[in-house]
Amino acid sequence: MSLAATAAGPVAPPPRAARWAEASLPWTGVAAAALLWELSARLRHSPFFPPLTAALGTVARMIRDGSLPSHVAVSAFRGLSGFAVAITLGVPAGLWLGHRAPRLHAAAEPLLRVASQVNPFALMSVFLLVFGGGEVVKVMAVGWVALWPILFCTVSGAAAVDPQLVKAARSLAASPAAVTWRVVLPAAAPAVFAGLRLATGLVFFVLVAAEMLGATRGVGWLVHSSAMNYQVAGIFAGALAVVGLGLGLQRAVRAAEDRLFPRQAADADATAVRILDLRDVRPRAALAAALVALAVAGAGWAETRRVLAHDRAVMTDPAAAPAEPSPGAGPR
Amino acid sequence: MSARRPLPRGGELLPTLRVVDPVFVPPLHAVLVELSRLWRAGQLAHHTALSAGRALGGFAAAVALGTPLGFLLAGPWPRLRRALLPLLDLAAQLNPVVLFHVVMLFLGIGEAAKVFIIAWLCTATIATSALAGVAALDPQLLRIGRAFALGPGRLFLRVVLPAAAPALFTGLRLAAGQACVMLVGAEMMGASSGLGWFVVQSQESYHAPRIFAGAVVITALALLADAVLKRVEGGLVTWTPSVDERWALLGHAGRARTDAPADRVIGAAGSAPAPRGPERQEDAPPVRALEVANVRRR
Amino acid sequence: MSLRSIDPAQPDAAVKIAVRGISHAYRLRKPREGKREFLALDSLNFEVGDGEFVAVVGPSGCGKSTLLDILSGLATPSRGEIHIDGHAVTGPTLDRGIVLQGYALFPWRTTRQNVEFGLEAKGVPRSERRAISDRFTRLVGLTGFEDRLPHELSGGMKQRVALARALAYDPGVLLMDEPFAAVDAQTREVLQDELLRIWSETRKTVILVTHSIEEAIYLADRVVVLSANPGRVRDIVAVDLPRPRTPALRTGDRFVRLRHRIWELLQNDDAAPPSLVTEDAVAAR
Repeated sequence: MSLAATAAGPVAPPPRAARWAEASLPWTGVAAAALLWELSARLRHSPFFPPLTAALGTVARMIRDGSLPSHVAVSAFRGLSGFAVAITLGVPAGLWLGHRAPRLHAAAEPLLRVASQVNPFALMSVFLLVFGGGEVVKVMAVGWVALWPILFCTVSGAAAVDPQLVKAARSLAASPAAVTWRVVLPAAAPAVFAGLRLATGLVFFVLVAAEMLGATRGVGWLVHSSAMNYQVAGIFAGALAVVGLGLGLQRAVRAAEDRLFPRQAADADATAVRILDLRDVRPRAALAAALVALAVAGAGWAETRRVLAHDRAVMTDPAAAPAEPSPGAGPR
Repeated sequence: MSARRPLPRGGELLPTLRVVDPVFVPPLHAVLVELSRLWRAGQLAHHTALSAGRALGGFAAAVALGTPLGFLLAGPWPRLRRALLPLLDLAAQLNPVVLFHVVMLFLGIGEAAKVFIIAWLCTATIATSALAGVAALDPQLLRIGRAFALGPGRLFLRVVLPAAAPALFTGLRLAAGQACVMLVGAEMMGASSGLGWFVVQSQESYHAPRIFAGAVVITALALLADAVLKRVEGGLVTWTPSVDERWALLGHAGRARTDAPADRVIGAAGSAPAPRGPERQEDAPPVRALEVANVRRR
Repeated sequence: MSLRSIDPAQPDAAVKIAVRGISHAYRLRKPREGKREFLALDSLNFEVGDGEFVAVVGPSGCGKSTLLDILSGLATPSRGEIHIDGHAVTGPTLDRGIVLQGYALFPWRTTRQNVEFGLEAKGVPRSERRAISDRFTRLVGLTGFEDRLPHELSGGMKQRVALARALAYDPGVLLMDEPFAAVDAQTREVLQDELLRIWSETRKTVILVTHSIEEAIYLADRVVVLSANPGRVRDIVAVDLPRPRTPALRTGDRFVRLRHRIWELLQNDDAAPPSLVTEDAVAAR
């Protein structure tokens, strides 16, 4: 027996069955929950509570007849637009406040903190009043909520840039703009991405609520109207779509981050400063990523225009509307 | 001194200059007048009390559930953690707005549904931050604690818990913010009372000053909650130089730790309750001189 | 050079710590070079007398920290035993104090509270704790800093607090794991003199693990020289410098010769090739 064995048990690799059990351990919780749902729904028949399999069937149907993808596209457009607005406003402002105007930031910080606490739903009511319904309101609501984490994290990242780096750049006669773009931004990039990650969690949270409060399309509206009609399958379809959208955005941001920062050792030295080297960004990969994002947004926008035109046509002339399957109809 | 007309303040400027239609964005003084009127009439106070009660109930339940849950998951039972953590992640991922509608199907639009959804949302946040706090524990502290022959119970109470407290409090403040947001959303979507309902009602009747008044009260409530927690945190957690850290901490959970300089900057901008001293090896000269002087005095 | 046990100048000194045949192997998660284990320590044998100051010096990876973990009872050796005061070590107890390289002060406790930690663990009543902690705070030269938090202290001061904490509850043995590696060179020498002063006042048995040959010679009565891969006792060198040690000794003739001797011992480590013990080889023993 080995030396370690005398102290701590046999060293031989565990049998295959045990290893398989270990690997599947993370799924036991989820599997148990799914099983519980299925069984309890089948045991207690209730129109409010279809079994998991029935709900999945409804989802498949909705995908086939195109209604679910339509809602997803509309919501994706709104979410991405709001996210893009937040990035476009937050990152430059954060860099400026953190790096170039630290005193202004110190003075403005309490005000900013208060502003970030303003309830997005209350704000949305204000927006609805001022701008009426429409896409702008939802995009603004998403943008507002996503702006704050991005702004705060960017400010902290920009302010924390090693002054030696800035000094080095200035000694090479770099203009202030060049310093900001080539030194501060790459050095602050990890913090910026932390803010992006926080924002992705908030985007679809707010969007779904916004769509529930004033919209006629989108996954939020789908969930809301299904709930009003007690159609759980519709809620489930909407919920899955929301999860998918949220995960999609998170994965995209994480993929961007992984590509921009070379993969470090598993036990990354926490004191090492990770700096984005823009030269590492492969132009073709970046272009491809940008195109994908644009394509998704573009498709969403096209779909949004189509359905809104359709809804307007229906409102003016109900008879002209082609029959569309209602969201929650199907097996109960 | 001649009486000069005071310059209109920001909140008055936009409507006064007709940049925004004053019907939709009333000037600040109109909002404040409406606010005080409603408050004295008791109506607003009533809704505020209801809303605050729901938020508080949900938050308290979340603290009671989430804190032990987080520490349990962080405990020396890796199998338990591997089995349950994905479930926690999933629960945290689930859109609470969607979940709220499901809950409403079962619990109606009464108090229970709102308290439940707030508790659900906050529990996930609190448990995650407790877990993160323990994960970020300096292993040397544990080593020393064990060297003092502390049993697992005392080790937890005297070493793990205080060490994880800063992260836990950050999570509490974050959860409080989430509770406020979710509360209003829930009241807008399925309620017959409360601040959120009040705002939606005002919006549907196009009563602009009321909407703003409601928004002001909601924001004030959230700020109050945050201020209270900050005070409690400042009272209990006196040893970290950077206490106002919630964005950076949560953003880096699961990834590399935040760079130390960022802590100090945010701490400088926020409020640091403890006086800060030299934190690195390259000490401020006065302290080192003091130290050497101490030795010489022998 | 043979392994020497207790200082021959004091053959009647009681054996405080007896290290007998300590071996320790780590199981590897991924087999390296076909081996599943890594032998960190191999058959260590030495004794430490009561009140003696012993330094353990060796290159990186020679298992010094592992040895200290075993001595403090935080790790169980794969083989062998340690006896302190005649009792076998089976786990951590309050008979030993430990000072770590990274200070490991509890950041939420003030200096006084950190020093009192061991007293609380020992169950000393509150009324006595303050007096004792104040005494040890004075001993390490930090009077006036009792209510400071660790983040308000410099590195050297933190290490003093760690020392006071390790001594306050009166353990018989003090174990130190490269305690001065994290402070700058000047503070290091100051602290070394401080440590000698404190040791002469408290007369604990000390085992100090270090990288630095100079530190080992300056502080210790005997120096245990370990080789690496696996960690084995290469030799035990007696330091015959007079006490109390003064900084002037560092440049003296004897000091330099001792340093050179130990240095050579550490360099000429071609006696045994690095060995990763396989299961078969051990089974064959």
